[in-house]
Amino acid sequence: MPIELKNVYHTYMPRTAFERCALKNISLTLRKGETVAVIGPTGSGKSTLMQHLNGLLAPDKGCVMVAGTDLAAKGDAAKKVRNSVGMVFQYPEQQIFSETIYDDIAFGPKNRGLTPEETDACVREAMAFVGLDFDAFSKRDPFRLSGGQVRRVAIAGIIAMDPDYLVLDEPSAGLDPASKEAILKEIMELREKKGIAIILVTHSMEEAARYAGRMLVISGGELLFDGEPAAIFREHKKELLEIGLDEPQVFKLSGILKSSGMDIPEGILSAMDLVKEIKKAKGWK
Amino acid sequence: MLKDITLWQYFPGDSFIYKLDPRTKILATFIYIVAIFFAYDPASYAVLIAFAAFVIGASRLPIWLVVKSLKPVWLIAIITLLVHMLTFPGENVIYTWSVFKVTAEGLETGLKMCLRLILLLLFSSVLTFTTSPIVLTDGIESLLWPFKRIGVPAHEIAMMMTIALRFIPTLLEEMERIIKAQTARGADFSEGNFLKRLKGMLPILVPLFVSAFRRADELAIAMEARCYRGGEGRTAMHSLIYKARDYASLAIVIILAAVEAFMRWGA
Amino acid sequence: MIYLENLKHVYKDAEGDDITALDEIDLHIKKGEFVAIIGANGSGKSTLARHLNALLLPDGGKCTVAGLDTADEKNLWEIRQHVGMVFQNPDNQIVASIVEEDVAFGPENLGIEAGEIRRRVDKALAAVDMADYAKHAPHLLSGGQKQRVAIAGVLAIAPECIVLDEPTAMLDPKGRREIIKTVKKLKEDYGMTIVYITHNMTEAMEADRVIVMDKGKISFSGTVREVFSRVTDLEKLGLEAPLAAKIALELRKAGAGLKKDIITDEELAEALCR
Repeated sequence: MPIELKNVYHTYMPRTAFERCALKNISLTLRKGETVAVIGPTGSGKSTLMQHLNGLLAPDKGCVMVAGTDLAAKGDAAKKVRNSVGMVFQYPEQQIFSETIYDDIAFGPKNRGLTPEETDACVREAMAFVGLDFDAFSKRDPFRLSGGQVRRVAIAGIIAMDPDYLVLDEPSAGLDPASKEAILKEIMELREKKGIAIILVTHSMEEAARYAGRMLVISGGELLFDGEPAAIFREHKKELLEIGLDEPQVFKLSGILKSSGMDIPEGILSAMDLVKEIKKAKGWK
Repeated sequence: MLKDITLWQYFPGDSFIYKLDPRTKILATFIYIVAIFFAYDPASYAVLIAFAAFVIGASRLPIWLVVKSLKPVWLIAIITLLVHMLTFPGENVIYTWSVFKVTAEGLETGLKMCLRLILLLLFSSVLTFTTSPIVLTDGIESLLWPFKRIGVPAHEIAMMMTIALRFIPTLLEEMERIIKAQTARGADFSEGNFLKRLKGMLPILVPLFVSAFRRADELAIAMEARCYRGGEGRTAMHSLIYKARDYASLAIVIILAAVEAFMRWGA
Repeated sequence: MIYLENLKHVYKDAEGDDITALDEIDLHIKKGEFVAIIGANGSGKSTLARHLNALLLPDGGKCTVAGLDTADEKNLWEIRQHVGMVFQNPDNQIVASIVEEDVAFGPENLGIEAGEIRRRVDKALAAVDMADYAKHAPHLLSGGQKQRVAIAGVLAIAPECIVLDEPTAMLDPKGRREIIKTVKKLKEDYGMTIVYITHNMTEAMEADRVIVMDKGKISFSGTVREVFSRVTDLEKLGLEAPLAAKIALELRKAGAGLKKDIITDEELAEALCR
């Protein structure tokens, strides 16, 4: 039951002086179990695209189908598929409103109409996924947590809705390097254990290269590239730099080593692989 | 979507009206509003409409913008018209429908009330479109200055207005984002009775207030770091200077009010 | 320019317990120096920054700015004219609805006459490349542009030192590049003293000196090379080390005879491919 976008167009404030076309003819299919990174400069249409995935915005032209149901349709079937796409906005801690962590995470499941017992199970499971101990945290005030912890509460609030697709807009923004890595690792474990799809909107080429199996490059409202991160970074380096994006550091370093005459293959994505290749090239063990 | 609010927002531009001192514009608006309430017969309304048209023309604001600024009152204007039309006692019945009678007097009063409302809004929106918020508050501060002696905190009022105007778009944007985030969590803001709906607003209002307080806190620290310590000893980059055009404009509006007063009571 | 001697800062948490945010801080920042302060969240780096222009006062030890003791209330306004401060969230430090009016806010507070304010505003906006946006509304600018307006607002006060508290944490990569470029220009063209707080390793590498904070204390410090070649120490504190340094360390572990102070890609390439 994939998410299918067919020739989606979106325009902000149509027929006014502020009219701006945000998406142009986007067609793509997202499947369960995938990890997709979405990259593009600010204002490229990334977040507009994201909001089409669960019907927060509706296309002006074209359609978005989830499991064969049109998101723009009315009725319970459409509502149900909208709820199957979880959406973690940038700085999600800003949407927290309850007095206890438990109540805040339970908000989504309750809105879905689950019984208290089912809700309780969802909250426990979600807290476990983001590494928050239920007994220690469930009754605490979310407004008194550290930056990394309050972010986890917010993400747990979406995980508790048991989505098939989890869309995250820069989930690591503003955190220190250690917390960044911890949160992304938890998200990837979630994907492995539950087989859901992760759609990760990010400004970090490192994150895209490291975690994603597929990458979408958006610029000027258009889908420029759709493919494996390593292949895109390798084949379209020039275009990426042109639209103001970087290449991952590992790529840059391997490029410099290669042009200095070292015999290493192209498209190395992780630091550890690069170490291995250098050792091989130099004949070290 | 919410950023698309044109009422009472500054629209950058340049014209005679833009160049006027904010105090002139505030006082002129005030006098014009008084003149609106002097108006009595169709001729006096015609003078008011002509004057408003002249000022809008002189401001060189795009017409679509001025018309759009009336958007929030169309409904009120129509209701005002209907209520007066249907309930005003009068002799000359034009049209009857069941228990309702439309009288010529009622229609006239309704139209007048509508016109007053529209003229009032049009004129004050020319003021806010052509005067940047900060210049406007400078003008208010300066006009309130004489009342400082009787304890009116002129500077504080002006500073509060400046900050409020600065943060309205930011908070509207934030509200839109929070609404979307909670919608994505399955919240429904349109179901149930009034009390239930009010409770349903909490997931929006609580984060909005938390954020507003945090912003206020950070802003206070940032202002302190930039040597802010109240109105004492402050200067302004744009000192307000009254020029010939200001005296002339003010004189014209006073004459307009005098004409209106004469048309009503003079004859 | 700035001397911190055995500085201590204690605050009360929500439960009323004393928390020591800063302890035994000894630091001397010289005029014209570009100092980066790095550390994980909660290491005390922002608290430290707020002592530098008397937004916070020491609970022990001493903080002296341009010869003025921050603990003396008489010095408050003079200190804030010597040391300006830029904060993390650009939205929450812009006061006015027009860019140039906001930049004028500082000098207006100082009671400077109108003509001089005008000159300072124009100069400050030019210094951050925002002169074309003087009449714009801040809420319609990009994050990087807003943050540059905030920097201009500080420059208009004409301080000798500018403290930036995680100025890029909320910006996209383009905004980050704009800020780093602006800060370097302030140091090189205007001879300003820069204190730059961040947890971004790439940005800290532009500094003359790097201070690493951990749990309210200075853990270690030194030149960019000295600090960023200590890969294991940085990672222990939850911080990043440059990729080249990390790879060099792994290769050394495997017995490669590489220098210990490699931090850039070029140095690694040179060492490996000679």
